[in-house]
Amino acid sequence: MRRRVPAAAVVVAAGAAGLALTAGLLRRRVGRLRFERALATVQLAARGGARYAGSAPRLFAAAGERREQLRNDLAMRTADDVLATLGTMKGVMVKLGQMASYVDDGLAPSVRRTLSRLQDSVPPMSAELAAGVIAEELGARPEHIFAQWDPEPIAAASIGQVHRAITRDGQAVAVKVQYPRIAETMAADLDNVALLRRMLRITAPSQDVDGLIAELRLRVLEELDYRREAENQRLLHDYFDGHPTISVPGIIDGLSSRRVVTSELVTGARFSELADWTQEERDLAAETLYRFVFRSLYEVHAFNGDPHPGNYLFHGGGKVTFLDFGMVKHFTDPDLLPLMAMVRNLCVENDPAAFRASMEEAGFLVPGAPLSDDEVVEHLAVFYELVRKSEPIEVTSDYATSVVRRFFDVRSPVAQYARIPQSYVVLQRINLGMFALLGDMHATANWRAIAEEIWPFMQAPPSTPMGRAESAWRAAAAGVSRG
Amino acid sequence: MSRMSQYADATGLIERSAAAFATAIPDSPGDGFFGPASVAWRVAGDLASPVAGLRSLMVQALHPLAMAGVDQHSDWRSDPVGRLAATSSYVTTVLFGERGVAEHAAARVRKIHEHVTGVDQETGRPYAASDPQLLLWVHAALVDSGIVTCALLGDELSSADADRYVAEMTVAAEIVGVPAGLAPSSRAELDAFIESVRPQLRCSAAAKESMAYLLDPPGLDDEVGEIWQDIREAAVVSLPEWARELYGYSAPSLTAMRRTEIRQALGVLDAVYLGEPGVLEARQRIMLRARSARPA
Repeated sequence: MRRRVPAAAVVVAAGAAGLALTAGLLRRRVGRLRFERALATVQLAARGGARYAGSAPRLFAAAGERREQLRNDLAMRTADDVLATLGTMKGVMVKLGQMASYVDDGLAPSVRRTLSRLQDSVPPMSAELAAGVIAEELGARPEHIFAQWDPEPIAAASIGQVHRAITRDGQAVAVKVQYPRIAETMAADLDNVALLRRMLRITAPSQDVDGLIAELRLRVLEELDYRREAENQRLLHDYFDGHPTISVPGIIDGLSSRRVVTSELVTGARFSELADWTQEERDLAAETLYRFVFRSLYEVHAFNGDPHPGNYLFHGGGKVTFLDFGMVKHFTDPDLLPLMAMVRNLCVENDPAAFRASMEEAGFLVPGAPLSDDEVVEHLAVFYELVRKSEPIEVTSDYATSVVRRFFDVRSPVAQYARIPQSYVVLQRINLGMFALLGDMHATANWRAIAEEIWPFMQAPPSTPMGRAESAWRAAAAGVSRG
Repeated sequence: MSRMSQYADATGLIERSAAAFATAIPDSPGDGFFGPASVAWRVAGDLASPVAGLRSLMVQALHPLAMAGVDQHSDWRSDPVGRLAATSSYVTTVLFGERGVAEHAAARVRKIHEHVTGVDQETGRPYAASDPQLLLWVHAALVDSGIVTCALLGDELSSADADRYVAEMTVAAEIVGVPAGLAPSSRAELDAFIESVRPQLRCSAAAKESMAYLLDPPGLDDEVGEIWQDIREAAVVSLPEWARELYGYSAPSLTAMRRTEIRQALGVLDAVYLGEPGVLEARQRIMLRARSARPA
C-alpha cells in the first residue's frame, strides 16, 4: 500500500511545477547530503535561537568563551568594515551561496568551499554599529526606541542580523537590522551581469543562465529593501490569521523601515530537533509545510522562495511558524494557469498530449521537440508521482537520489529540450528545498488527497483532520469577509 | 616565444599562493618589522594587491640584468607556480612575520643571490644578484606598484601616507642586502630613483617571454582564468607610459565603470582566495592584531 517515492517528486508533483524546473540544476543527487549542507548554512537565515557562536564554529580553533570573545573582537565596527567584508561582489556571492546550497549538488568542491567559507567570513556588526543603523532608520538609538534591547545579536540574517527586544508595549520582538551601505553596494554589484554570468556558470552549468540572472537579480534587489519583506510577511500573516496550524509572525509597523524590520518574537523547536520527535509529529509538521506552500501559491499567489530549514519553528501537533519573507515571488494568473494545466492534464485527465502542450505553453519544454508524448510523460511524470494516485506515500531521501539521478541524466532525451522560464526560477528553489525537508522527515501522507483540497480546479473536501480544521478556518474567514 | 613550451602550466596558482600566505602569517603576535599601524599592512591588505604583485613583476622584468638573473638561474619555467608562491611567501614573511623569521628568510635569499651571477646575453653586461642597484630596482618596483595600484583600484594613500610607506619599506630593502641609507625613503626619492634607472631599461626577449606567460598563464581554472584577464588589464593600465611602450602594450585608461568591474572581479578572486584552507584564519589573525593596536 505504502509506496516510496522520491522527495523530489513531492512538491513539483503537487501541481506547482514540472520537471523542467529542476532540469539541469539537479545534476547529481538530492538528499541527505545536500540537506546537511543546507543545515550548515543555517546561520544565514536562522532567527530566534541559532546563536552565532554555535553557528560559525569552524572560524576559530579556540573554543567556548574564547571563541565568543574572538567573535566580538572581529565584529564589523564601521560601514567600511561592512564594505570590506561584503562589498565588491562578496555579498552577492554569499546570496548565491545560500541559493546554491539548495539548487546544485553539482557544485565543484572548491566552489562549494569558497561559498561556505565566505559565509563564515562575515562577522556580526558590533553593538555600536547596529545601534547606529537603528538610530538612522528609526530616529533614535535602540535604548530609546525599545523598553529593552539586547545588544548581542541572536542570529545572523541574510545581509543583516537579528536582535531581541521588548517594545514599550511589552511585546517581545525580533528586530532584523541590515548592515549599513550594503544595499547600495550589492545593487551596484548586481549590475555586473557579465561577472554574474561567469559566477553562475560555475554553479549552474547547464542552466539558462541569463533568465536565472535576471530573476535572481530582481529577487535579491527586493530582498535589500526590508519594507518589501514586511509587506510580504504582513500579507501572509493576514491571510493565515487564525489558521489551525500555520502561523506567520506579525509585523510591528512603526518599528520597521527600509533597513529594519521588527516582528513578533516566536520561539519553538528548530528543524534539527524534529529528529527526536515521533514520526506522527513529523508527519503532521510535514503536512503543514505542504499546505502552507500550496495555499500560499494558489490563494495568495505568493511563494516564499527561501525554504531554508532555519525558517521554520515547530510547536507540536503540526503547528509551524514560518519565518523570513525576504524572497517572496508573486505570481500572476498567467504564471499559474499553465502550472495548473500541467498537473491537471497529467494527474487528473491522464492526457499525455494535453500535458505536453501545457508544458510547452509554460515554456518548460521546447515546442516541437522530437519526442513522443509518451516519452515526455515517461520522463516528466516521475515528478508528479506523489500526486498521480490517491494513497499514502512516504517521501524518502534515498529513493529521491536514485530517481533524480536517473531523471536528470544529461543524456536523457528530454534534458536537452527542458527549460526553466524566468518567472519559475524561485519556484524551483523552494521545490528543491521542500524535497530535502520532507525527505529528511520521512514524511508520509496521502499527498494527492491534500493536493485535491487545494487545487483550485478541484477544491475537494477535507481528507485529514488538519484538512477539516483548515476547512473550518476557511469557512470562518469567508464568513468574516462576507460580513 | 619559442621557449614558451618549456613553461609548466599555472595549475594550482591560487591554492599554492594561498597556502604560502596562510603559513607566513604567524600564529602569535610577535615583534615584526612592520605592524598593525603600518601603511605597509594596509597596502598589503588592499583589494588591489594582486594587481600590485603582477605590476611589480612587469616593472622588475624591464631591468635586463634583473631579468637575466631570473632567466638564467631560476626554476621559473619548470615551476612558475612554485616560484610565485615562494616570492609571495617571502614578501608576506617580511611584512607580517616576526623579525627573527623575516631575517632568516632574508638571509636565505642573500645566500641564494651569492650564486646568481653571469652575463646578460643581450647587453653583454655582467650582473650579480647581490648588486645593491639590482636589489634596489626590485624593491622600488614593488613599493611603487603598491602606491600606484591602491590609487588606481583601491584605497588611495594620502601623500603623507605614501611617504610613510616608502620610508617604512626601506627595511625590506636593507635586510636583503641594500646598504643602510641607500633605499629611497620618500615618494620623491622613489620616483627619482626609478627615473635614474630608466635609461638602462629594455624589454629583453626573456622579459617579453616571461611576461607573456604571466599575463596569460595556461592551466588556470576557468573562473580564475577569466578573472585573470581583468587583473592583467588592470596591471597593464597601471604601468607607467614608458613601461607600456617598452613592452608594446597599449591600454586605454580605465573608465569609472571599468574600474568598478575590475574591483568586482578582484572581489571574486579575493573570495576564491578566502576559500583556501587557512586564509580566513590568517586574515583574522592580522585583523585581531590590527584591532588590538587601534582599539575602536
